[in-house]
Amino acid sequence: MTITTDPDVIRHLSEVSVSVQIETADMTLNIGPQHPSTHGVLRLVAKVDGERAYDVQPVIGYMHRGYEKLAEVRTYPQVTALVNRIDWVSGFANEVPFMVAAERLMEIEVPERAQYIRLILSEMARISSHFVFMASYPLELGAATPLFFALRERERVLDLMESVTGGRFHPNFNRIGGVKPAAGSGSTQRKVVQDLPKGFLAETRVAMDEVLGAADQLEDLVAGNEIILARTKDIGVLPPEVAAAYGVSGPNLRASGVRYDIRKTDDYLPYDEFDFTVPVGENGDCWDRWYVRLAEIRESAKIIQQAIDGIPSGPLQAKVPKVIKVPSGEAYVAAENPKGEMGYYLVSDGGQGPYRLKIRSASFSNISFLPWILEGALVPDIIAIMGSLDFVLGDVDR
Amino acid sequence: MTASPPDTEQNDPEQDEAIELSPAEAFAAAVAAAIGGEVSPATRTAKVTVAPESWVDAVEKARDEFGLVYFSFLSAIDWASDVAVGDPLDGDVDERYEVLCTITELMEGKRVTIATNISKDEPRLDSLVSVFPGADWHEREAHEMFSIHFEGHPNLENLYLPEGFIGYPLQKSYPLLSREVKPWPGTVDVEAMPEKDEAAETDTGPSTENPEA
Repeated sequence: MTITTDPDVIRHLSEVSVSVQIETADMTLNIGPQHPSTHGVLRLVAKVDGERAYDVQPVIGYMHRGYEKLAEVRTYPQVTALVNRIDWVSGFANEVPFMVAAERLMEIEVPERAQYIRLILSEMARISSHFVFMASYPLELGAATPLFFALRERERVLDLMESVTGGRFHPNFNRIGGVKPAAGSGSTQRKVVQDLPKGFLAETRVAMDEVLGAADQLEDLVAGNEIILARTKDIGVLPPEVAAAYGVSGPNLRASGVRYDIRKTDDYLPYDEFDFTVPVGENGDCWDRWYVRLAEIRESAKIIQQAIDGIPSGPLQAKVPKVIKVPSGEAYVAAENPKGEMGYYLVSDGGQGPYRLKIRSASFSNISFLPWILEGALVPDIIAIMGSLDFVLGDVDR
Repeated sequence: MTASPPDTEQNDPEQDEAIELSPAEAFAAAVAAAIGGEVSPATRTAKVTVAPESWVDAVEKARDEFGLVYFSFLSAIDWASDVAVGDPLDGDVDERYEVLCTITELMEGKRVTIATNISKDEPRLDSLVSVFPGADWHEREAHEMFSIHFEGHPNLENLYLPEGFIGYPLQKSYPLLSREVKPWPGTVDVEAMPEKDEAAETDTGPSTENPEA
């Protein structure tokens, strides 16, 4: 038998083979809990018809640690160590709203220098968290190179945070009424010094210039890549009204065009003293979610440089009693964390620990609409959409 | 209807005055007037308490009239005198579950917490899923953690806990098992050796274990 090379015959044969009706059986596809794109242990039970998913149910709870219960048996200072393990990619930023909630109930004025240090470290946490996204998201789409650019700068930022707090991931640095007197780095590690390590501000200023440079490199590297654009443009479009009704927050909400940023609407930290914009997307697709985060890295770097220029001198701690007791009352304080709205509903009965602490974590609401958005998605797009939401399972399960 | 724990009501009347003036409280008062609820006095957050019968209507009305389109969270508080963990409340406790739902407006970030009190004998409340689809998971969590049944919820299964889990972990009467079998280590490691544990087990109430040294 000879193989035909006649184009007309080949075309005819190919048309015959696709015009045959193939009955596709429904299949249940189990994704995770151990899968690189799930950033932890998220499981998806996807019913697929051919290449399209028509019913996707996330299964969570593999990492449920019961922090809301644990907080009830701890004193206020001990809760700090708990809450920075919720979203471990930005541990410092998790501590701040809890502290502010307790401080508002206690009516404590935090010294300005401490507020500035909280603000600088919160923004550094945002940069490092967004760099993890910049590293992992292209990787999930098959591009390995951006990872090296993003993680190199993230390491720089984490080293600086470590020099102040002593911890890369779990700083445990906030205290009610201010921040911990910083530990020195290197040879002075054991000796408690009363302020930021020497040279920290100058080094951070230089590092922020490098962060801005890395952001430009990442944009060159990713934004011109046709494959990444094809995988992300118009994929996973999230309309703003759906995002709001599900409580989707942070960059995911802003990518849908909603200019809502708690840094602009609340005064939990003195963000009103700085000049920065809130980047928003236009279409609410995966590409916009990537681009909004890149723009936020740039804004955060600018905020940090302004804060370094304007940081006042003064104490790091307000006067607080030795045994912390929070007066009876309830307070809800939310912060604009890298992942979105991170809030604590703190109920105090006047004791040394919370009577009830509701932890409103961003990633929980940010993935609760997955069944909605994955309806009808192609199976490879499931990975592209999940990756673009930038969630952390510790932040989902608490 | 009381909206706050009884022990907070007697205290600090002059702080209530200060709270009335804050923009958040003024906004809460406007919402309360529109949806037929009360602003809670002794809290430092904008909380409006409504009757459980008008729960869904109140939230929907607040959403439509004040542009509170963003669903922040829904959760509950177990007000109880019998506590297995943590410190008990002072004074008499009005035993009830308080369900909270915080919703936000997205232009200026105005935020209000709508609350309602339901009895512990029959913890039932209408589901908010028809108003905010995001309430789905939050209600499942409140269901498995507090035993609150949300009428009309499409899929009220366990979210975090495995199937067949017995008990409702965030109820105040639910013991924290790890704390029962091993007391809090404290600031210095002076805990009893294993053979002495039997004696230690009987007299360690959870409320005495706060390690404030």
